[in-house]
Amino acid sequence: MARVYNWQIGREMSYWYPESRPKKQFAAVFDTNKCIACQTCTLACKTTWTSGKGQEYMLWNNVETKPYGSYPLAWDLKLLDMLDAGKWAGSTYQGQTIFESAAAGERVASWRPSDDDYAYPNVGEDDCANQIDGGASFSLPHMAWFYYLARICNHCTYPACLASCPRGSIYKRPEDGIVLVDQGRCRGYQECVKGCPYKKVYFNPMTGTSEKCIGCFPKMEQGLQPQCFVNCIGKIRMAGYLSTPDQARPDNPLDYLVHVRKVALPLYPQFGLEPNVYYIPPIHVPPMFLRQMFGPGVDAAIKTYRNAANDDDLAGLLGLFGSTEQVMTRWVRRGSEVAGVDDRGTTLVRVPLKEPVVERAGFDRVYQIMRTNCP
Amino acid sequence: MRYALMTLIAVSLAGCTRAPAPVADVVAVVSASLPSDPADAAWNAAPEHVAKLLLQDLVEPRLQAVSTPDVRVRAFTAGQEIALRLEWPDATINDLPAAGRFNDACAVQVPLKPAAAVPDPQMGMAGNGVAISFWRADWQATVKGRGDTIREIYPNALIDHYPFDAPSLEKGSAAQQKMATEYAPAEGAGNRRGGARTTAVEDLIAEGPGTLHPAPAAISRGSGVRTPTGWAVVITRPLPDGLSPTSPSQIAFAVWEGSKQESGARKMRTGWIPISIREDQP
Repeated sequence: MARVYNWQIGREMSYWYPESRPKKQFAAVFDTNKCIACQTCTLACKTTWTSGKGQEYMLWNNVETKPYGSYPLAWDLKLLDMLDAGKWAGSTYQGQTIFESAAAGERVASWRPSDDDYAYPNVGEDDCANQIDGGASFSLPHMAWFYYLARICNHCTYPACLASCPRGSIYKRPEDGIVLVDQGRCRGYQECVKGCPYKKVYFNPMTGTSEKCIGCFPKMEQGLQPQCFVNCIGKIRMAGYLSTPDQARPDNPLDYLVHVRKVALPLYPQFGLEPNVYYIPPIHVPPMFLRQMFGPGVDAAIKTYRNAANDDDLAGLLGLFGSTEQVMTRWVRRGSEVAGVDDRGTTLVRVPLKEPVVERAGFDRVYQIMRTNCP
Repeated sequence: MRYALMTLIAVSLAGCTRAPAPVADVVAVVSASLPSDPADAAWNAAPEHVAKLLLQDLVEPRLQAVSTPDVRVRAFTAGQEIALRLEWPDATINDLPAAGRFNDACAVQVPLKPAAAVPDPQMGMAGNGVAISFWRADWQATVKGRGDTIREIYPNALIDHYPFDAPSLEKGSAAQQKMATEYAPAEGAGNRRGGARTTAVEDLIAEGPGTLHPAPAAISRGSGVRTPTGWAVVITRPLPDGLSPTSPSQIAFAVWEGSKQESGARKMRTGWIPISIREDQP
């Protein structure tokens, strides 16, 4: 194993291959506070990429309801059970990653889902939201809260799928960091399916190969955000490219959210993959749970996010989410307006910091009728 | 009573064709023709070599525990071809691929070219490769007529619609085939790991672990059947370069037990075993 630097855990770690960062890294920020689990993203991906034979239960994008929901079943709980609960010293992870805790003869510490584990995507996960009969009580190990976690491939800097493949059938594109399975080379050993801690590589029994999210690279190559991003009706997502912390540019929207304001955090950074989808954590969930899922930066991130109404830059940038199909590699706030800009400096979209509000009287004098509050 | 028992034993022995004694190496007996059916009684005339299987322990991921203990090998040769019959114990049939499900399989490996030093027995080495004939149980089931639909794996599966099955596309037309291929990316890339097949065997070349790739041409054929205790598979291929009645060579075998989730590098394998050709039966 080589020694590589993982900034998300604040230290060097062991990895199967030497550090080799792409020219630029595909990345994303998801605002969990805005997700309503409508699954439009799931279907946008499904209809675009996974309508073939053997892909019936394959969801490159899925939305699950935490803490009980998961696809495949218990994907994170099973791995967390396998790993020692390592501690953080500030921003440095002191436990072992899945690469460092691999058993002899294995490439990563991992488990293998069965096909049944994929059979219940988002089924029954929201049942506790139903009305409870009068007088009935419902006791849980924790308070009655839940939130929605939208998931795609994290296109990790240190992918476990790539490390797991004994024949090098998975590669990370040097031009944009998107991780792909070479469909001409894969022999369907399913080592990647087992190795990915996020369980975002899937075996297709009809093609006999493993398949995964491709980051909609044909769109990204044209400067367009992926399907699951642009079809999101909650406008929770922004795709772009992320720098390393030492190269962070405040005018790069993802750098600003991840590195400058530190309001968006990686998913299970302690696994050690340096995942590149970042989440603004839900503000109403017990921080203890969130620290396990998003690392030690949760409390500060929530504090920053809660103050967004008084923070023109942060509020403005969040307003750019879902405002255009094009990839905004830069952004700028000019007074009460925020603009998304591309690499050439062309303004792609302009969004007001605050939408104009018009208050209408409750009674419509023209039609002599009370107005209702329906949208 | 004693006389009756001796008579019974004598009659029983007279009714059997005595199998040749096991041999220390693999011996291919020259024959007029090569039996392709693993159940063909002609195989009894070939001496059997019991090849002890070892853990694949060279590269990660390794196999952690011994599964299949040995593979019994018999061989005939005729003209420029050799037929090898591999038989191994396996209590379970694993011939349906799915997430977390793996297939029973076996392979025959020979040096790619005659060399003073044989290549590394575990997949060869750079500049000194190996040729591999690989058989898989799910491919065998497909060759024998199993359908190519998801319902073969999940009989109760409900399929709403596949885009390439749209009524606007004439079934079997070039346009329909093209669209179906677009929804099967591996097949589109020329990597046929699943789907309908005409052979249960594929030819491969390797020059070290992780380098396995298709051979330039399909030169092997084969067929496998269930025995009361496991699998019997016949693989027929051209005689390896350098193997002749006057020149022995080396051969190796591998077995994957699907129920133990064996696949790829997780396998039981042999080291190199000497193989020779014998003109006459003993």
